[in-house]
Amino acid sequence: MDVYGRSPEIRVVDVEAGYYPEQTVLQGVHLVARPGQLTALLGPNGSGKSTVLRVVYGLLRPRRGAVWVDGKDVSQVPAHQRVGLGMGYLPQGRSVFPSLTVEENLEVGTWTLLRVARRAALDRVYERYPALRAWRDRPAGILSGGQQRMVEIARMMVTDPRVILLDEPTAGLAPVAAQEVYEEVARLRREGRTVLLVDQNVRAAVSLADYVYTLAFGRNQLEGTREEFQQRMHAVVREWLRV
Amino acid sequence: MPLTLLTEAVVNGVLLGLVYALISVGLSLTLGVLGVVNMAHSAFVMLGSFFALELLLRLGAPPMLSVLAAAPLFFGVGMAVDRLLLRRTASTSEAMGLLVLFGLMLVLENGAILVWTTDTRVLPWQMGQMVLAMGGLRVSFGRLLAAGLALTMILVLDFLLRRTLLGKVVRAVGQNPDAAAVLGVDVTRISMVVVGAGVATAAMGGVAVAMMFPFAPQEHLRWLAWAFLLVIVGGLGRVRNTLVAGLLVGQLEALSGILLPFQYVYAVVYAFLAITLILRGRGLQAAQERTL
Repeated sequence: MDVYGRSPEIRVVDVEAGYYPEQTVLQGVHLVARPGQLTALLGPNGSGKSTVLRVVYGLLRPRRGAVWVDGKDVSQVPAHQRVGLGMGYLPQGRSVFPSLTVEENLEVGTWTLLRVARRAALDRVYERYPALRAWRDRPAGILSGGQQRMVEIARMMVTDPRVILLDEPTAGLAPVAAQEVYEEVARLRREGRTVLLVDQNVRAAVSLADYVYTLAFGRNQLEGTREEFQQRMHAVVREWLRV
Repeated sequence: MPLTLLTEAVVNGVLLGLVYALISVGLSLTLGVLGVVNMAHSAFVMLGSFFALELLLRLGAPPMLSVLAAAPLFFGVGMAVDRLLLRRTASTSEAMGLLVLFGLMLVLENGAILVWTTDTRVLPWQMGQMVLAMGGLRVSFGRLLAAGLALTMILVLDFLLRRTLLGKVVRAVGQNPDAAAVLGVDVTRISMVVVGAGVATAAMGGVAVAMMFPFAPQEHLRWLAWAFLLVIVGGLGRVRNTLVAGLLVGQLEALSGILLPFQYVYAVVYAFLAITLILRGRGLQAAQERTL
């Protein structure tokens, strides 16, 4: 099912970025997340995968290079304006507002919408994730890790983003909960959204991806289609693990 | 001890507690949401008192009207403080922000001394001098109005934080500003709103203080001490808890005032603070947690 005629493309061009002036994490990274496809960004710990997502979403300004979304240079657009560009971002780790109820968490996700559109957006999310109805009045902080992850995904989906950045969406989850998250990621891709996925679970990420990039030490290492990457996957992972 | 005296003390404790809660709730909000210790908070309480005095003397406006005028004016002042001072120190150490606000407090205090001198003032408001007598119970009308005003403002703030989308977003920013930003919330704007609300409630608390107590520019620090006390007892950013803490402290002050010599009143209140911290088991850390 393709819900859009064409989702936007993300193009990262020669990006250099870091958190401190004396430290450069990304050293000239290039990548293209093609419209309506799932692009996986893989690599060993500390290779800069999450930093790429932070740069793409405007949480970290690149020192050099640019990020293009749908043909526009968005490098200087602050993070809080990215929702308006049709982007959604699921950060690494827990990000629910713990003392707010599930419904209140979702309501915060409607902040950028017009007042008249907010209720319809919430109804659409409840329809998409029916399990949330049962938890709507519970504080999000008391839910299990998997349930919290679903709340975070649902909250991101309130604005129906066409470009989605997922940073280790299954990290710390039990296998059953992780499987549910992967099924949701696959659904996002089937709906024709442009998805950029960072994940430590190489096998799962590659099986979902249309195209794969790997990073090492803040630089591009390999790239290729799923089929191309699957042939080299074992060798690449062995190299990352140095075994 | 006559029952009337005891009842009077309990009623006075409630009235005092409500005003203490209003003075504290802005500090609690600013600290809870933004992690900013507004050292100038009590200076805005003092300015609120003088604002009520000036409106009464120049325009004959009663304090209830001054509150309505103080809210938007001091909200704007708070937003300016955030924009011009706090945002500039946001990327530096917390100590820098603390120092800047301490400096602002000194500027406001000394500016107020230049304008109004160090004389102690009372609000020359005739209605406030009236005493309501019910049976043997006597209550100052000024105190009653001040407490009613405080309760109204606290309930309005609680409603805004719990029931409106802006309030929910403010609470979200207090819990995880990065996650809020990812959802499209401009955290710097929310910060301006929070500091504005904190300063506005401080000034409204100042109007309530003027309806109850004499005031002078150099005597505002006692309100900062009370506000910190209530924030520690009630926890950060929790409006209802601040209200309960205010009522508890008001009762303690009023009851120990009739049961003990005056010099022991503060000792009782601070002993209560110590017991609260010990019972919580985690001392000040429990109050520092941002659980809005």
